[in-house]
Amino acid sequence: MFRVFLGETVIWTFLIVMAIIEFAPISWILATSLRNPSESFKLPPDFWPTSFHWQNYLAVINSPQINFLLFFWNSLKIALMTTLAQLLTCSMAAFSFARLRYPGRDLIFFLFLSSLMVPATVIMIPTFILIRMLGLLDSHWALILPATTSAFGVFLLRQAFMGIPSELFDAAKIDGAGYWRMYWQIALPLVGPALSALAIFTFLGSWNNFLGPILYLRSWDNYTFPIAIVMLSGYMGTGNRAHVLAAVMISILPVLLFFLMAQRFVIRGIAVTGLKG
Amino acid sequence: MRQSIGLSGIWRECKFSKRGMKNLATTADHRYDASVAKKKHTISKWSTNRTQEIVAGYLFIAPAFISLFIFLVVPILASFVLVFMRYDVLSPPSWNGFENLSQLSRDGRLQQVYWNTFRFVVFATFFNNLLGLLLAMGVNRAMPSIIKYLLRTALFFPVLTTTASLALVWNFLLTQDRGVVNYLLQQVGLPSVPWLSSSSWAMVSVVMFDVWRACGFLMVIYLAGLQAIPEVLYEAAAIDGAGQLQRMRYITLPLISPTAFFAIIISIIGAAQVFDNVWVLTGGGPGDATRLIVLYVYEIGFKRFEMGYAAAVSLTLFAILVVLTLLQFRLSRRWVHYD
Repeated sequence: MFRVFLGETVIWTFLIVMAIIEFAPISWILATSLRNPSESFKLPPDFWPTSFHWQNYLAVINSPQINFLLFFWNSLKIALMTTLAQLLTCSMAAFSFARLRYPGRDLIFFLFLSSLMVPATVIMIPTFILIRMLGLLDSHWALILPATTSAFGVFLLRQAFMGIPSELFDAAKIDGAGYWRMYWQIALPLVGPALSALAIFTFLGSWNNFLGPILYLRSWDNYTFPIAIVMLSGYMGTGNRAHVLAAVMISILPVLLFFLMAQRFVIRGIAVTGLKG
Repeated sequence: MRQSIGLSGIWRECKFSKRGMKNLATTADHRYDASVAKKKHTISKWSTNRTQEIVAGYLFIAPAFISLFIFLVVPILASFVLVFMRYDVLSPPSWNGFENLSQLSRDGRLQQVYWNTFRFVVFATFFNNLLGLLLAMGVNRAMPSIIKYLLRTALFFPVLTTTASLALVWNFLLTQDRGVVNYLLQQVGLPSVPWLSSSSWAMVSVVMFDVWRACGFLMVIYLAGLQAIPEVLYEAAAIDGAGQLQRMRYITLPLISPTAFFAIIISIIGAAQVFDNVWVLTGGGPGDATRLIVLYVYEIGFKRFEMGYAAAVSLTLFAILVVLTLLQFRLSRRWVHYD
């Protein structure tokens, strides 16, 4: 009995300590971003808001030199376009791999699969030269175009499409549906969970992308949120930490809200894509 | 992240069907054949249908294929050409022979950078997976759903947030003089630590940050693995009188080993490519103490403008990752149990 009690205590202490370690920095950001800017360096630190200087947020949003809403919009635009493009191209290719037969299909699928082994960072130099030759430097297309498809997405959706009973497609064929119709009206609506998992990952990946914008974007007006914050901290960080942290908080907020609402969904998405493929 | 997630599925797929992908393809084909057989009487229409299907197949693949070809195949091929070039972006490239490749062996900094990357990958992978597994086991226990929700939110949240922003925050937290972490250490009577300014502590900080940020992701992966273990096994073991530790040793660990295998590969491949972490937290310093390989490639390419040499260094990373993955895959047969 005592051993069980001891075991429980150890496990719960571990879980609670880890949860505190993982979350304390986040709540420190919130607390410090709401402090009076002149006190933002003061110790002891707050891990819970003690004062509420919402002006910090307004100052960041209304800052005359730095257009934060523009960075927000840039990030959002790139993430949305990338996500839409990937959902379309990946699901089309996946439908083709899973449901249609034609010469060379398995070979092409094998090429897609092996491309998963090539990390994007490994080809960063030639990709940069390519983007430069295409004249896309300092344009958002440099971030969108290379991300219009992903072998991972194709793989994920192919698995989903293969789970659909083929009788559905036969029935559609007999009713005279073409392949586009089969794809658009039968296959796509049935793989909602896989599509949304892919959408979540693509969106987050794009929203959090750092190396890409560092490589390709040159002018302030084109910056995305992550690099804008890092670049700005150099200018504002020394004098005014509260403003930098307010900016960080603004970049976290959409993700936080989304996660609080869709926690189960996100976690299940990772579990499904990570393990069952 | 995206890329690494896919791998686990692929490995599993390749592993399950020893005969490779043929197996998978045939399941679809069998169904197809059955449906074709049913309609044998419409054989006159069959050939036009067949042509239509072939054309449709290629058309459906076209967008993804073109994108993948331009932005993946072309760069890969180009990097094998680039290795033999001298190219500073501004003036046209010129033939450089094997100069870039021989420079690899003479570059003392490259050795330092690889040594850093090696240590970073080993420690980050170890702690991420250890904590990920322990957390998953903890969270997987029976508990009120509100507590489960709060725990998972707290543990998983850093995974979703921009690494660059978080690294910036940790930079504030770890400052030596007025940093929060040192303040807390002093409160409990410990000396303050030069987290980012000492070359031995900087690597600790970089690993610490990575584990803080990523162990929640590993937790979710392990959680899925744990939940796939049938409850019956534990019940049977309990009836046979196996204690908690025995159940862990003889049921959980063997059955979680495939998951662990994928998780470790994911972690290694991910850790070897870490960039924004060190860029923001330490800038690779002090000196070269935390310069990791991708940051080094970036600097060779975009600060020194030696594109050819940068491509050569990237290729070494590429080769190492491929070898590591294949090696891991081979070794895994000894200790991974597939049910």
